[in-house]
Amino acid sequence: MIFNIAENNDGMLVNVAGRLDTPAAVKAQKEIEPLLQNADKEIVLDCQELEYISSSGLRLFLTLRKETSTRGGKVIIKNINEEIKKVFMMTGFFNLFEIR
Amino acid sequence: MPKHHISLHNDIEEIPLLAEFVDQVCADGGVDASMVMSLNLAIEEAVTNVMVYAYPEGTTGMVDVEAETDGGMLTFVISDGGKAFDPTRQERADITLGVEERPIGGLGIFLVREIMDEVAYERSDNRNVLTLRKTLKSE
Repeated sequence: MIFNIAENNDGMLVNVAGRLDTPAAVKAQKEIEPLLQNADKEIVLDCQELEYISSSGLRLFLTLRKETSTRGGKVIIKNINEEIKKVFMMTGFFNLFEIR
Repeated sequence: MPKHHISLHNDIEEIPLLAEFVDQVCADGGVDASMVMSLNLAIEEAVTNVMVYAYPEGTTGMVDVEAETDGGMLTFVISDGGKAFDPTRQERADITLGVEERPIGGLGIFLVREIMDEVAYERSDNRNVLTLRKTLKSE
């Protein structure tokens, strides 16, 4: 399980952990359904334990971001490591998300 | 460093085997730790493309990955016996687009080009051959 979701008063708090490679991202499409349903809220993705992200993983993040954009919610990404930050910058994702 | 080689089926569930392979190649090649994730990313993208596009749906096919270090240059050669498919001719992602305009796809080959120093495709003996090179930092 990559996306571990908890609901709180402000919205959704998600612990994203492990290797989000292509097969994991395919499985995670189901995992993020509750997030898509709550795309009108604030969704915090805490990526402290995220070790790796492939383009398939980035696509998932983008899907979520687009949904919150349409529904009036927000995606906040926290605690990405230096390597993943490099990937975000390389792909322009750094500018698409609120990153803390 | 001797040549490393792995053969995978066109099954994305085998991607973790590819990751182990790339990690091993990097360890043997003395690749800087800061480069290992990027290399994993580029190689995963290139191999996933083959797994998804090279062979007709429902058929089994192989993807071969060879790797070696030579004179400060790390080379990966990804080959397959599928239909002619040149990933370097895919549409380039526009990374300046905002959220609404940004298409979901198109990142894979973009990342390969960003990360690798050389990307070359050729069709040879009925095989797709993709050569990816990265200059390693000198000691």
